[in-house]
Amino acid sequence: MADGLVEAPAVDSLGRRWPLRMMSAIILVVLGGAVVASSVVTLNVIRHQERLILQERTGEAAAVLGSAFASVQDSLQLLGSIAGSSPGNRQLFATAARSVLGPAQGLLVSTQRGASMRVIAAAGAAPAIGQAIPGAQAQLGRRALSTAGMVSGLVQQGERRWLYFALGRGAGPGTVVWWEAPLSQAVTIEASPGSPFGYLDIAVYLSARPDPSTLIAATTKHLPPAGLQYPFRVGHDTWLLVTTSTFPLVGSLVKDTPWIILVMGGLAVALTVTIVEVQGRRRDYAAAQVHEKTASLQTAMAELQDAQAQLVRQEKLAAVGQLASTVGHELRNPLAVIMNALYLLEVAAGENDMMRRHVATAKRETSAATLIVSDLLDYSVGREPMLAPVQVADLISESLSVVPPPAGVQVAGHSDPELFVTADRDQLRQALLNLITNGYEAMPDGGALTVSAASAEGSAQITVTDTGLGMSDETCQNIFTPFFTGKARGIGLGLAVTKRVVEAHGGTITVESTPSAGSSFTITVPAAAMVSVPQ
Amino acid sequence: MSPFAVLVVDDEPGMRDTLAAILEYHGYRVALAADGETAFTAVQAESFDVVVMDVKMPGRDGVSVLQDMGDPPPQVILMTAYALEDRLRAAVDAKAFAIVHKPFETGRMLSLVFDASQASR
Repeated sequence: MADGLVEAPAVDSLGRRWPLRMMSAIILVVLGGAVVASSVVTLNVIRHQERLILQERTGEAAAVLGSAFASVQDSLQLLGSIAGSSPGNRQLFATAARSVLGPAQGLLVSTQRGASMRVIAAAGAAPAIGQAIPGAQAQLGRRALSTAGMVSGLVQQGERRWLYFALGRGAGPGTVVWWEAPLSQAVTIEASPGSPFGYLDIAVYLSARPDPSTLIAATTKHLPPAGLQYPFRVGHDTWLLVTTSTFPLVGSLVKDTPWIILVMGGLAVALTVTIVEVQGRRRDYAAAQVHEKTASLQTAMAELQDAQAQLVRQEKLAAVGQLASTVGHELRNPLAVIMNALYLLEVAAGENDMMRRHVATAKRETSAATLIVSDLLDYSVGREPMLAPVQVADLISESLSVVPPPAGVQVAGHSDPELFVTADRDQLRQALLNLITNGYEAMPDGGALTVSAASAEGSAQITVTDTGLGMSDETCQNIFTPFFTGKARGIGLGLAVTKRVVEAHGGTITVESTPSAGSSFTITVPAAAMVSVPQ
Repeated sequence: MSPFAVLVVDDEPGMRDTLAAILEYHGYRVALAADGETAFTAVQAESFDVVVMDVKMPGRDGVSVLQDMGDPPPQVILMTAYALEDRLRAAVDAKAFAIVHKPFETGRMLSLVFDASQASR
């Protein structure tokens, strides 16, 4: 990475998500807890309020009932006074009693005679005068006699239950003034819609506890109603009023407030968490974008640096190529002169074999030097082929004479003299010379080199075969790459230039090689139409 | 039949001398010129069958001399150590008998000179 570039913070997706997840969870817990707590508190407050109102209403109902029963005590007091003041006047008592009696109710006065208690005055549905008060009722009478104030009780007589109010000593000592009323079999009373306290379910017990056997009346069948227990005084006794409300006394809306708080609060929490999540995701996305852009910027920077380095390398190569080109051109003239001089030496050598051999070596090496210079120039500058008809047989023999074979190498060249190609003679010769000198160098211990040509389907194929070292497959794949060389000497341009030259002529070059058996290169170039040999 | 006359034009003494020796050895009558102007004057003054001439020379170059040669021109073989510029190449193609890139194989040069001399008469 280049200096001065700031590395983007390395954040994996888990690391990036964690703080956001934590924050969302905390918000959810805190706000959710607050909402639930508010809801619970509100619920309790409303329940308390509901209970207070119920207590108030029940108190009012108890007061109404209490005052009603207080008037009963007043009536018993008054009728007792009437019965006591004129014991013989039964008619007066009966008349006075009827004014307060309801249907099926009775009023009577009894007195203690020995062990029994007998009726001395009666009105309404009461037993006849002289009758004995039955056991259970007599027991209530005795309690009335020992108590200051009215007592009350329930007595089962046959199929019916009777409600008794009894005032002891109401008509003089030993007397009890009774008011009796039968209770209906069904204790449940339907509350009419318009009735006071119609919004309450009420049960009235003739005891301080909600004992089912003391239930006098109720507005519901669900007994005992699980509700508020409100004791109140009836004469000397304590009765019990149990109430529940049939609808919320605080109002439906108020009663639903905790749920409203819960739902609205829940929605608010969900909304908040959603907003936090969305913002967090946006931030994560932005961070990821920054990370990505930074990475691509770094890649671009690296590529730019690579490109710059490549450019510098290419410039250096170009400079070297320029130098090589200049040197190569300057070498061509002296090389040409040396070739001429060697020709003259060869002539002068006559039949002197030793001279001829040494001149041949000098020619071969000078040709190798020429080839290196030509390859270098062709590679660095290149030039378009100057096409003209070339007789292949002539080209092969010229090429072979330019580079005489080293000792131990047998050379053979064959070609149909009628075979012509359209080519740049110098370039094609250079290509052939490269293949021939490569063949020589592949046979350090001697061998045979054959250059042959044949026409094939509008093309000319020129094959250079040696019986030398051969090449591995890997080497074969690389030999046409510039600067690749498998030889001890050479700069690795010969085959690259050869390939370029052949392809510039619209041809191809192929190689077949077997290690330790030799190699065979085949150049295929378009054949020319038959032309006459220039004379 | 008189021997063919060949004018060798090159600013390089080594090239002039060796080429002259080789051609004389093979029976040609050889004259020498060291630059384009001298060569042009020689061609005006004397009839040559073949001119073997370097392209790049100080002063007047081989292409310029080739273009100004009179009628009928001798057969001209141009020698060059450099690639020819495109604009000159067409003209050279039209008037030169052959172009040879230095360094050349001596046998090939002899073959070309022979062919050119045959074409000149």
